[in-house]
Amino acid sequence: MRRVRADEYAEFAAARAGHLYRSACLLTAGDTYLAEDLVQETLGRLYVHWGRVSRASNPAGYAQTVLTRTFLAHQRRRSSTERATAVLPDVAVPSAGADVTMRLTLVEALAQLAPKDRAVVVLRYWEDRSIEETAGAMNVSSAAVRTRCVRALARLRALLGEELGEYAAH
Amino acid sequence: MPVEHRDDQFEDRLGAALRSAGGTFDADRTALVAGGETRGRRLRTRRRTAVVSGAAAIALVGVGGALVTPWGGDGTGQRAVGAGGTTVGPGDASPSAGAATAPVPVSGAQLLNTLKELLPSGKLSEQKSRGTASKKGPYAYAVFDDGKGAAALSLSLHRIVPGSGQARQATECPDKAFVPYDDCVTSPLPGGALLRIVKGYEYPDRRVDTKLWTADLVTAAGAYVSVMEWNAAAEKDAPVSRPEPPLNSAQLKTLVADPAWLRAVNAIPASATVETPPVASAPEEVESDDIVTALTGLLPRGLSVVGKSKPDTGFGYVVVDDGKGKSFVQINVQPNSQDLEKELFGEGSGAVTRPDGIKVVVRQGPGDDKGKGLVMRTADALWPDGLRVVVSAFNSASQITGPTRANPALTLDQLKTIATDSRWQQLQPVPN
Repeated sequence: MRRVRADEYAEFAAARAGHLYRSACLLTAGDTYLAEDLVQETLGRLYVHWGRVSRASNPAGYAQTVLTRTFLAHQRRRSSTERATAVLPDVAVPSAGADVTMRLTLVEALAQLAPKDRAVVVLRYWEDRSIEETAGAMNVSSAAVRTRCVRALARLRALLGEELGEYAAH
Repeated sequence: MPVEHRDDQFEDRLGAALRSAGGTFDADRTALVAGGETRGRRLRTRRRTAVVSGAAAIALVGVGGALVTPWGGDGTGQRAVGAGGTTVGPGDASPSAGAATAPVPVSGAQLLNTLKELLPSGKLSEQKSRGTASKKGPYAYAVFDDGKGAAALSLSLHRIVPGSGQARQATECPDKAFVPYDDCVTSPLPGGALLRIVKGYEYPDRRVDTKLWTADLVTAAGAYVSVMEWNAAAEKDAPVSRPEPPLNSAQLKTLVADPAWLRAVNAIPASATVETPPVASAPEEVESDDIVTALTGLLPRGLSVVGKSKPDTGFGYVVVDDGKGKSFVQINVQPNSQDLEKELFGEGSGAVTRPDGIKVVVRQGPGDDKGKGLVMRTADALWPDGLRVVVSAFNSASQITGPTRANPALTLDQLKTIATDSRWQQLQPVPN
């Protein structure tokens, strides 16, 4: 990699690593080890293709798409469709002031979604992407995203219900 | 489930909650960035190595009948270097950066020699082997006779993605509902390796009682050593020559865990890397946890569920007992199956079209697998939108074991009711 490009990449990676990691933590429902692994894998792929990535209109969005696909590919390889809900993976020590209980509840609820449903929720409500953009990132039809989204919301509403209301209100 | 109901307020709150929860996760960013760059360099090096070594750098796993586990865990298609697959242990042959030094190949003859040294005293014949430079992957085969009967024995070496489905398949005990075996033990070894020893049979339906015992070792760095031994002089079509294969569990462990094999795995050239993650283009399928939950909910009263399937896709089973013995109930939920209409629900099939448009066929007969008194009842339903739901009940505890009772625990009518329940429509994933 040429010097200028290498600097550009390093700057980009340093700026985006934190956000990618947080996305990965939500995608993996709090499995911070896997999240680190996914982020490094994502950054590794961006490094290899930096020439192309840097020319993209939105490199940050591109990085998020690579992360989502890396996560989904990982889930496929595991060939198990849902994370065991009884065993919650390690959750990193939260920063001061966070509503720990709510976060644990939210992460637990995410863990009960199928990985693809979780990816839809993260892209739609964490990344604020439209249905079309979410569909593009996951390489599925927008109808598929809509269906998953409705299903995931119903599940989350059932799991979180009022607790989410109380949380958002304070 | 209120499928049509939308609640914007809930969506807003969810967004706020996610941002708040997500914001509390923090990691050592410098380490993440450094790790990413290391992986990037490694990926690039592998790509270059792959170009240099050309045809030698093809996928090295899952080739040849002898390498395929009898329960079908052939693990083909596991070529992607994935998120979980980049742990580089001290034994990993991947060059760290820059210089791509080729490892010294290990020949087939060397592998056979090592095998000979590690086996108890006896005679070896019909020796065959491939070295680490072979496109099909390293392999050694011989007929071993310790004086108590000739026995075929094979060893194969692979490199696989640690933590991958393939690694799991090689080290988890298979589901007894599909594969008969007498014993299966998985044990951790020092250094993070996992060893699985299965004492099973060459033919899952046991039409011939040839025993097949396997030892599979997968290290933390993804080295995979597999040994198989039979109580016959050939894998198939040879008479049983002795009551059991020659090596017992302890001997299998000693053989499979010898460090010599790991050195040979290190000599396997790095396989070609898939550069970008495969996109999620696989057909949408129903997830089996959902299937099993729904199936359980639809069972008639008086049946208790005594077993159920491991996660899979589009498929699930439960084992039920009504007090008269175990009965295996399996189900497939397959969206977009319109193409099967003519074949399975066409003329002569006995299909009945219900007022709601669902076509249903019921069948009763011997089990899929060679009779032995097995009775299998099936209800097969094709919905107007192409969703197919097939439910079968057996008079046995699994598809491959003998009868436990005269008839399955569910009647054809009960199966029909399950197959046509509207719950399947709700589970159906996505109209793509």
